[in-house]
Parts: sequence; C-alpha cells; structure tokens
Amino acid sequence: MKKTIISLLIVTLIATIFCGAVGCNPTGNTDPSSLVIWHDKEEAVITPLQDYVKKALPNITVTFERKSSLTDSLKLVGNDPNSAPDMFIFAHDKIGVFAEMNILTPVTDIIGEDFKSEYLPMTLSAVTYKEKLYQLPLYFETLLFMYNSKYMLENEVPETTDELLEYMKNNTGRGRYGFVEQHSTAYYSAGWIHAFGGCIIDDSGTPFPNGQAVKDALNYHTQFVNLMPGESEYNTVNTLFLNGKADATIGGPWMVPSARDAGIKLGIAPMPTVTGTRKSLAPYSGVQGIHVLKFAAENKAQTVKDFLNVLTASEVGIRLAMASGCAPAKTDCYDDERIKKDEMVQIMRQTAEIAVPMPNIPEMDVMWTVVDSLLIDVNLKKKNIDASFDTALEKANSLIDAMK
Amino acid sequence: MKKKTKITLKSYLWSSPSLLLIGLIVVFPIFYTAYISMTNMNVYHWFDYTVIGFDNYFKALFMFDSGFLSALLATIIWTLVNMILQLVIAYVLATLLNNPKLKLRRFYKTLLMFPWAMPGYVSILLWKTGMFNTEFGLLNQLMTKLGLATYHWLSNDLSAFICCTIVNLWLALPFMIMIIDGAMQSIDKSYYEVAKLEGANWIQRAYYVTVPTIKPIIAPAVIITIFTTFKQFDVVYLLTQQAGSKTGSGFHTILTFAYENAFIASNYGYSSAISIIIFILLIVFSATFKLKEEGDR
Repeated sequence: MKKTIISLLIVTLIATIFCGAVGCNPTGNTDPSSLVIWHDKEEAVITPLQDYVKKALPNITVTFERKSSLTDSLKLVGNDPNSAPDMFIFAHDKIGVFAEMNILTPVTDIIGEDFKSEYLPMTLSAVTYKEKLYQLPLYFETLLFMYNSKYMLENEVPETTDELLEYMKNNTGRGRYGFVEQHSTAYYSAGWIHAFGGCIIDDSGTPFPNGQAVKDALNYHTQFVNLMPGESEYNTVNTLFLNGKADATIGGPWMVPSARDAGIKLGIAPMPTVTGTRKSLAPYSGVQGIHVLKFAAENKAQTVKDFLNVLTASEVGIRLAMASGCAPAKTDCYDDERIKKDEMVQIMRQTAEIAVPMPNIPEMDVMWTVVDSLLIDVNLKKKNIDASFDTALEKANSLIDAMK
Repeated sequence: MKKKTKITLKSYLWSSPSLLLIGLIVVFPIFYTAYISMTNMNVYHWFDYTVIGFDNYFKALFMFDSGFLSALLATIIWTLVNMILQLVIAYVLATLLNNPKLKLRRFYKTLLMFPWAMPGYVSILLWKTGMFNTEFGLLNQLMTKLGLATYHWLSNDLSAFICCTIVNLWLALPFMIMIIDGAMQSIDKSYYEVAKLEGANWIQRAYYVTVPTIKPIIAPAVIITIFTTFKQFDVVYLLTQQAGSKTGSGFHTILTFAYENAFIASNYGYSSAISIIIFILLIVFSATFKLKEEGDR
C-alpha cells in the first residue's frame, strides 16, 4: 500500500513537471471583456491611463502588467495566446522587429485612418514600418537642453554650438564643467550627427548613408568632448548636473523630477544650432504607444477597437502630460490651457519639429553597439576618425549580414 | 537476475523526478540549442524557421577571426591569473583563520563571507561607480587629495584587466576561503606534531602536510571555479563593455566578444551555433583538465 502511494506520488510529480514544462492549457485568453496590457512604465504614466480607461470602458476589465524585460518576453511568447498579452505599451523602435516576427497587427486595420490627421507628423512617421502604422501613439520623449540658471544666466544660454563651446572654455576646470552630456553613446551623439546632415542608418537598412557627414560631426564634436569628463555614462553625467558641478546638460524629461528634487534652478532651452551647418542639434525621439498583438486583433476585435478609440481622446494625452510631464502625441493637447503653462512640454513640442524618430527597422538593433564603439574609438581612445569610421562601417555591415 | 532487474527499475523510478528535472533544465536546453543552431531562426524567420544544416557553423567559424583568437587568449590568461591569485590569497587567509592564537575568528569569517552575500550585479556596479569612476570614485578622490592627476581606470586594456581581476577576486574569494578553511580543519593535528618533531618549518609543513592533504578536497571547487572564471561575463561586461557606458577598454572574454559580435544580431540560429562552439571548447578544456587530474593521481 505504502509503495503504491509513493509510486502514485512520483507519477503525479512527473506529470506536474511535464505539464509545467510544456504547458497544458490549450484554450488561450479569448474573454472579450478583458484585456491584458504589458508595459515597462512608471506609475505616473500608467495610473492616469488606467483611471481614464476604467471610467470610459466600465464593462471591460483592463489589466496593466509591468514587465521589466518586455521585449525579450514578447520574443519568447509573442505568438502564444496562453502567455502573451493582448497589447503592450512600448517605444516605437522595436516595431520593425515585432512586425517582421509577424506578431503585430497594424492599428489602422482596427480603427481606420481618420485619427491620423490629429497627431503630430513626427509621431506618425515614427510608428510607420513598411507603410503600415503599428502603434497608436500616446506620447513622445526627446532630449532637451537643460541648464542650471544659478550658474548659466539667461543671457549666457547658447543659441549656437560656437557659443556653447566658448561658454565651456570659460567655465570648465577645477572639478566643474560648463556642459556635460553622454558624449560617447549613440543615442546622445545622434543629435550632432543629424545636425551635420548625417544619420546612423536609413530606412532601407544602409548604415551611415552619408559617411562624410558622420565624420564631420565626429570631428567637430571632439572639441566639446575634450572639455567634458572622460566618463560618459548616464550616472556620472546626471550626478554632475544634479550636484551642481555642471552648468548645463542634454538630458531627457525623466531628469526633470530629480533636478527639481535636488533644488536645481532648472532652465530648459531650445537645442543650439551648429554654426557651420545652421542646423539645430536634432536628437532622437521615442514615441510611446499601444501595439496590438495579432491574436487579440483576431479574437477580441471589438474590445480592442473600443479600447483604442478611447485612447484617441485628447484628454488622455493631457492627463498623461500633467501627471508625468511627457509630451502628448495629439496636436490639440497643446492648445489646452493646462498644457500651455508647462514650459517643458511646450519645448518638447518645439523639439518635435526637429527631432528625428529613432529608426524602427530591425537593423537598428546592432547599430547602437556599432556607434558606441565608434564614439569610444574617436572620443576616448583618440583614434583616427577615418580609420575608426571604416572599422565601424565594416562591423555594421557584418552584423547586419549576421541578422539574416 | 530478475530481482536485480526489479531493483534497478525501482531505483530508476525513485530517481525519475530528479532525472526528469535535470533532463528538462540541463539536457533539453543543450539539445534544443544544438537544434536551433541548425536552423535559420532569426528576426525574419522567427516562427517559420527551417533547418539549414551547418551554415551557421561556417558563418560562425568565419567570425572567429583574430578578434576571437585574441579574446580566447585573453580568457585563458584571465582564468590563469584569477585562479592563481584566488588560490594563493585564499590559502593565506585560510591559514591565518586557522591560527589557534587568532581572536575574533568568527567575526573575520563573517566579514570575509560578506561579498558572497551581496548580489553580483550590485557589487560590480558599486565597484564601478564607488571605486573606479573618474569623477566620484574613491581611487581618484585619493589621487586628487595626494595632488596626483586623476586616471581613467577602466579605459585601457591592462588597467581594465587589473580592475576586473580585483572585482572578480572580491566576488570569488569567499567561496575559495570557505572550502580551503574547511579542508584545513579536517587535517589531523598529529601530522603537524610529527612534522614539528622532525624539525619542519612553517613552509615545509605547508608544502609537505597541508597542501597534499587538502588537494583532493579542494579539487572539485577549483574545477568549478576555473569554469565560472573561464565563462565570466558579468564582471567584464558590466565594468567595461555595457551598452551605453563603454569605457574604451578592448579587453574581452570569449563571451563578451561573442555577445558584441553575434548575440546582438538577434539571429538565434547563428548565436546558438556560437554557443555550441563555446560549449565544445569548454568540454574539451574540461576533459583535458580532468584527464590531467586523473593522471596526477
């Protein structure tokens, strides 16, 4: 009897392990009154969204689940209705990867094309991949020129990069810096490259289509790098600015709450213009919004449609901007009296005119590392620009080949 | 014979849950990786991949250019340096801990185990910002106080190698100290008494009594540590090669090199082929080492 019980227990244990490993729930989530949305955002973004949706769609249960490695999880379970969410909120730069994986449905297939006229053109261009819109934009982020008005006076705020360089020369030394930025990371350096007419990769997946512009930008940028700390990572740059050891920086809106908490007299100004090219530093922008997975689009079509339609309301963008300081993707949000008073949001709106959406093609995934290495070679190792560029181009081509 | 078969079957039945778990967690991923390495699974063929034979292996072997060979050499040097330093330092500290005249022994032991209790990721980043950072790191703060020029510790290959070694030692020493300390405590004290009567000094006692006695006990720990050091990724990547905060060092282990040159391409077929090649390298390394161990006995 005892042996039989033990044997049964062992068989049960084996069955449990096996079921756990292969998954024994074949049904999938097809309940039309519930939606599961993955995101990687902070509470300040999700709470207003959640509150608004709850009131607008009382008959639908919407569950927002925070995922720390959202893109990796989607790569694993994106086509598995048992494990995947119905939708997810993320930046637009992974659209190409997920569209190629064939797990996304274009939002225009669900809610049509009419909504497009109400959105900032930059946000729509960001979320378009192979002529299809794969995301309903909610808000966007981009880099801003920030300064500590205790040290950099209003009349000293540079309008051109030459003025910025002059300011740096006069105010750098003895443990203080006139200006700091993450000079050797691709995301931050892209603004300089764009100002010279270059880009990291074009829509067809060709790396550095205008190589000379990239080299010119790198060459011009080195004189600024020489007046900045050798360390260019996020924590060092932010801490220098937040501790009052750097007068100005280029940073994202996510820095604003920390700067205010640190008692910095924060000023925000438009990006300086490169004197030689007469173009402003044009940073990358990231458009955050809702993506719909295929399974949900096919099995919960009406619920998904209702949900997306609710999110096209201007009030959503306004509430998000007020709660978290992000810049709404809808144009008319900026006419709201509450948003007009927000200097940071308004400057981001201005920057949207010049900002370049991060490329959303899959090939961009490898370019971050390639450009980082190029910047390290030029800025920190002081290697020859032409030779470093050639090495980077070769590596980019080899990695892009390796993707296929 | 029949009874023997019954016993054998029963023993398999009792151990089947564990075998199944090991199969699912250890064996299955290896075979699955080997299978994926034979396919064209990448961003463009994520769910509709097909078997393409050994193409990924040819591509991977082509990638193994001089960059890979120098990374392999650096990994071997890294493993040797770390192992020698770990064994020497752990041995010295364990000997000191076993000194009968030492007071507060438990306190020192707890203190030496402390790095082990901290998550590796946190420790590495603390070292990076707290010690090696050019602006706020303790080392540069000290240099400034002494009137010396500050130094970018993680920017060149040699200093980055030394910094990575220090952090790796900090993380790995508690394990080795614990093993050697435990092994030393198991040595019969009469051996030392006899050695003393024979006139052996401290070095001779260590060479002729301590080392031969603890060798078989610490051998498995040494083998485990050799492999964890050989396939080290976190320390080198987080200190010097992390995306967005690269420091300028060209020091790569084979894993950080493979990550930067293959894994970021999201081509799982190709990355799996490289993983299998690294796996085979480790198996060969392991087999060579084990054969040598057995030969020594």
